[in-house]
Amino acid sequence: MTSFAPPRERSPLAGAATALALAGLVGAGLWAARRPQPRPQPGSALPVETARQPAARRARQGGMLLAASAAIDGATEHYRGGFHRWEMYLGPAASIGALAASAMQAAMPRPLREGLLLTAAGVGLAGHAFHARNILDRPGGVCWSNLFYAAPIGAPGSVALAGLAGLAATMLERREPEMPHRRGRWIAIGTVAGLLGTTAEVALLHFRGAYHNPAMYIPVTLPPIAALTLGAAAARPSPTRLRLAHRMLGATAMMGLVGTAFHAWGVHRNMGGWRNWQQNLLVAPPLPAPPGFTGVALVGLAAIDLLEASE
Amino acid sequence: MISQGSEIRAKDGRAPDVFSRDGWVAMRQYREAEEVDVAVIGTGAGGGVVAAKLAEAGLSVVAFDAGAFYRPLADFASDEREQDKLYWTDDRISGGDDAIEMGSNNSGRAIGGSTVHFQMVALRFRPEWFQARSRLGYGRDWPVDWREMWRCYDEVEDALKIAGPVTYPWGPKRGRYPYRQHELNASAQVLARGAEAMGVDWSPCPISTVSAPRGKSPPCVYRGFCKIGCSTNAKQSILNTYIPRALAAGAEVRDLAMVGRIETGSDGRATGVHYHRDGEWRFQKARRVVVAGYSIETPRLLLNSSSPSHPQGLANAEGLVGTELMVHSNHAVWGVMEDEIRWYKGPPSMAVCEHWNYDDDKDFHGGYAFMSQGPLPTDFATSMVKNLGVFGMELRRRMALYNHMAGLKIVGEVMPTPANRVELSEETDALGLPLPRITFRFGENDRKLSDHALRFMRTMHEAAGARDIFETAGSAHLMGGCRMGFSAADGVVDGAGRAFSCPNLWIADGSVMPTGGGVNPSITIMANATRIAGHMIGAIARGEG
Amino acid sequence: MTSPPRRYPDYDVLDKRDSPSWDDITRHVVAGRLNPPERQFFDDALWDVLIALCDTIMPQPDRDRPIAIWIDAALAQNRTTGTRYDNLPPMREAWKRGLAALEAEARLCHGRPFHDLAQDAREALLKAIDREEVAAPEWNDLPPRRMFREVLANEIVRVYYSHPDAWSEIGFGGPASPRGYVRLGPNRRDPWEAEESAATRRSAEP
Repeated sequence: MTSFAPPRERSPLAGAATALALAGLVGAGLWAARRPQPRPQPGSALPVETARQPAARRARQGGMLLAASAAIDGATEHYRGGFHRWEMYLGPAASIGALAASAMQAAMPRPLREGLLLTAAGVGLAGHAFHARNILDRPGGVCWSNLFYAAPIGAPGSVALAGLAGLAATMLERREPEMPHRRGRWIAIGTVAGLLGTTAEVALLHFRGAYHNPAMYIPVTLPPIAALTLGAAAARPSPTRLRLAHRMLGATAMMGLVGTAFHAWGVHRNMGGWRNWQQNLLVAPPLPAPPGFTGVALVGLAAIDLLEASE
Repeated sequence: MISQGSEIRAKDGRAPDVFSRDGWVAMRQYREAEEVDVAVIGTGAGGGVVAAKLAEAGLSVVAFDAGAFYRPLADFASDEREQDKLYWTDDRISGGDDAIEMGSNNSGRAIGGSTVHFQMVALRFRPEWFQARSRLGYGRDWPVDWREMWRCYDEVEDALKIAGPVTYPWGPKRGRYPYRQHELNASAQVLARGAEAMGVDWSPCPISTVSAPRGKSPPCVYRGFCKIGCSTNAKQSILNTYIPRALAAGAEVRDLAMVGRIETGSDGRATGVHYHRDGEWRFQKARRVVVAGYSIETPRLLLNSSSPSHPQGLANAEGLVGTELMVHSNHAVWGVMEDEIRWYKGPPSMAVCEHWNYDDDKDFHGGYAFMSQGPLPTDFATSMVKNLGVFGMELRRRMALYNHMAGLKIVGEVMPTPANRVELSEETDALGLPLPRITFRFGENDRKLSDHALRFMRTMHEAAGARDIFETAGSAHLMGGCRMGFSAADGVVDGAGRAFSCPNLWIADGSVMPTGGGVNPSITIMANATRIAGHMIGAIARGEG
Repeated sequence: MTSPPRRYPDYDVLDKRDSPSWDDITRHVVAGRLNPPERQFFDDALWDVLIALCDTIMPQPDRDRPIAIWIDAALAQNRTTGTRYDNLPPMREAWKRGLAALEAEARLCHGRPFHDLAQDAREALLKAIDREEVAAPEWNDLPPRRMFREVLANEIVRVYYSHPDAWSEIGFGGPASPRGYVRLGPNRRDPWEAEESAATRRSAEP
């Protein structure tokens, strides 16, 4: 028999998606790992003080949305996977922990709160490794079939983002930023990475759906534009740039909510529609996924608040 | 219990809306005395495409089919025995050393033809196969340029929104499939693991069921009853693609209308068709006739349409009608897996290996593809009975392992041979039409091919972890019987599908295929019908048709 | 005679009848399957042979689902398969002649009607027929193996595996529309699929 090398479908898009997602996480992780300034600055300017509150609130809301989205989506997808290994409980559990931490705010002791959020960030990062192994274990390895249908390589990133967003909120609440623009910039970098990583995953999954509806292009075009404007505003803040970034992030946040409506329509379009929910909630477009964009966008708006304050 | 399929539905200016449970779409109708531009006989992979293309070109078209006009959502049960209603089950006399089994595995009887119950595998011919004789040294050349076929494949794949792999390992570079590949079921993963163990390529199989919504078709729910009719409309068959197009473009479709004879004038030209519908024989006048009844009914109809100007049967001046009938060898290996496979889930063939279609280092002509399998219970049980002769408690014990079974089955190229053919028998059916008599025998090359395939697949199946392997033999599909040729001595029709000895008669189904290739034929039949329709439209526009 | 191992002891495909796995047409068709019609085609003599043949080809010590009556119904409707092998008569005649030849073979070999034979004698007789070792003149030009496999056994097996109890027996998902399946990979099943008993799963042996 003639011998042939086993096929390996190299997929540039998926590679880029992974790289982007990881870059986003590394960026956000660096930001999170940064030790807070030990001494508060009592003499900070008044505008910064006023910006701090809404920024913290937005970051917290963003973190909550991200955590809720990751928890429901992760639980649904892992249920689909039959929870066939115990580690599959970790992602949804960590997301619920992050959700509780962000939601309960001061009602939860700070060490527990930050512990839960850090755990979510860690579990999300580890999730990538598990998902990568799931892909490599299947016949074909890194090939389109497995990128489409094995454990999604980008998905755990949303758990990590939920943790990082919550951490950002706790830090903003805790003390005056010494240099709000620097903090704003770090949050902006994390947001840009989160937006691009999420976009990459959506691009892969909407490609799997053959972009059969033109609306499926919106979540792969609008968020990168928002990321671009936010990046520009963070690099060299100006009122025009900040205004533009604010609008684009607002649009992205809206898109996340409208996306759920589109996905609900998708469930209806599958065979049996909502009556066949046992199947369609698992195989149709995921309802909890689009608000993840809203969550990231809210964190981005928090960055804008801080950047505006220092302008 | 045949609960549907006996009522004429396409009448009174309307036809069934195939995307509804009980709805209708408007249908233009033509009077029988009105000489329509084209009468199309058969609405399957060939006729359905031609009817739509010609109607869209502005021609008046009446398409006839012996079968019923179903609405899949309401009429197709999840039940093998009930769905026998989709098969051509009229008696056909089958003989020869390897008599072909007819009915479920090769002949449909419905609007949409066999595509209503086909396995949806959408593989293109290898380009060299269109010149099999001159480039590979066997069979016949097609009077067709493969690049023209390639363009037609593109068109058909888009019309059916074939869900295929992003990259396909074999053949010339090709555009991306319109829809993405489906998730591989466990059965397909067995093939994939085996192929990787053997060091040969494998691929998710391009199939004709959508992996995302398309119009009124929901994405496939992996219910696994594809071979007995898709009840969700996820399968893109002629019934829910080209037929709605044909109707929208003004074609009339006559269901439960069995054409028994094509009438010819003293000048030898076809003048219309005699058909049986609603209990009586009727006649439709037509300027041109396209026959697309597939490899048994097309020769049967032509042979039964003899007239003073065509004494041996229509288009049979050279005695070629009915000759060189081909099937695909459909041999398989089956084995027991440690894993639960549950092969009833998903389309039956989700992974394919075309290695031996593209590797020419082998001791036989032609090639074969093989796919993962997922037979429904009676299909699998009867294949064990027929091949192994098992029955009794032994059969029940083997069937108890149904969910642990996996199989690999070939679509193997069979050489065209004059003695394998369709003729008319002395016996007649209920309508008084002579029954077809089919003679078939696998040749020496065909046996070498299936032996090679069984050897290779057995090794591969073992490598994938299968135990207690057994083999089955069989055939599937039909090709040939009215082949295209370069001259009247060489074929029944020319490369444009037009009969050499009857200028206003075309054939546009699988019967015109000069060779069978090593892949399922449906999409090639559709692409070729697309090509033939294009040539017809051109000829008519030039006043040559 | 032992029953095959019960691999799916808690599974009954009919439990899903009112779930989204079944649609109206399927409910209608399967309901009909559970209500056999009256005998129309076979006379008493051939009926006895047919019943015994069904019991031999698809023995059911664990239950008693009618098979023969559905063959009678199909022949009464002159339901055919699309294949008439040139050495077999048309379907109705094939059944009559096939059963008559089987009966003659039993009387010739054992001096008793087929339905009076013990199960293993019947099995041995059918295996001899499948090997084309026949003596009764009633076979005449009938090809024994083709008659046995393609006509008699084929249809009996078809009828057996078209009964919902047979689907439950082998763990087949059964009707599935509009709801199909979500979990397609090896060793994965949806909640509405048959669960294999742990004991038999460990011994995936024939």
